[in-house]
Amino acid sequence: MKSGWVLVESVARLLDRDEREPVLGDLVEVDESTWRGLRGVFGLVVRRQADLWKSWRPWLAGFAVALPNSFLLMGVSLSVTWSYMRLLCPELLAKAALTRPSALLVLLWQALLLIGWSWTSGFVVGTASRRTLWASVLLCSSPCLFCLSRFRIDSLSRLCLLLFLLPAIWGVYRGMRVSRINLSSALVVALGLTAMMIPAWSNGGLHWWSPQWNQNWALILPAWYLVATSRRPQGEIAAG
Amino acid sequence: MLGEFEYLLITAAAGLGEDAYGAAIREEIEARTGRKCSIGALYTTIERLETKGFLKTWMGEATPQRGGRAKRMVRVTPKGVHAAKDFYDAVTSMSRGVSWAANRARSAT
Repeated sequence: MKSGWVLVESVARLLDRDEREPVLGDLVEVDESTWRGLRGVFGLVVRRQADLWKSWRPWLAGFAVALPNSFLLMGVSLSVTWSYMRLLCPELLAKAALTRPSALLVLLWQALLLIGWSWTSGFVVGTASRRTLWASVLLCSSPCLFCLSRFRIDSLSRLCLLLFLLPAIWGVYRGMRVSRINLSSALVVALGLTAMMIPAWSNGGLHWWSPQWNQNWALILPAWYLVATSRRPQGEIAAG
Repeated sequence: MLGEFEYLLITAAAGLGEDAYGAAIREEIEARTGRKCSIGALYTTIERLETKGFLKTWMGEATPQRGGRAKRMVRVTPKGVHAAKDFYDAVTSMSRGVSWAANRARSAT
């Protein structure tokens, strides 16, 4: 095996297995030089990626979900952390005019919304950008790194900004495996999350609810996207 | 109508018959035209032609000289033959009477 061939094989990993095998086989058979092999495989990878970006899906996943939602979800993660801190500190609890049970309820409410929003956002990214996931990950990482570098609250760990990551990664994983969920499950998730957001909306923000939470209506869009693209029961498809 | 490279690829595959696969087609195109054929252009065109129904591909056997890797075998479909014939007819019809084609015919005879 030629020196540097490992690099060619590494780049070829970005191709589908069905394509990678014959392409590498062809290069070995004609005894291609490492440089020409690398250029050829890289060219093919670029062409394949360019083809993928002709679809609207990677754009939706990257620029309409991963990038904006990571910003918003970092804010929600911070709110959840504050709610947790308030629960531990009687002074903050008194300042917010909350009893311990109501503060606990607020924390659970916010945590559930965070999990729901993050999971649905991750799921949409997973289904819409399977082979362009690297781009969605980059677009999600850039606001995260920006905010982490500017985080200046001594009493809190920087990692509290990233609470949304775990459910989001779980959502991506499920999205890549399942691609579409049942209509009934999608409706339960979307209606549940929407219903949980209504108190903040109808009340103009409860006393425990900061006004910027109203902006988070953008976070419900992935859940309704799941409803719109859900798997219909067989009968409905036939009827439609 | 086919593009120029699509026509070359279909013609090379048709000429190779049962032995048509990626490396052989590439070698044929390079040998006949004297032009370099990138592996990226080759495989993206094969896929495009297969999507259009002009080619059929399947995985062939793995051989030791390929490092134990399978070939992607190619066969031209009747639809592909028809498209290539249309392209050839168009080119020969368009070329009738032009100086370079006339010189070519004279030098061939």
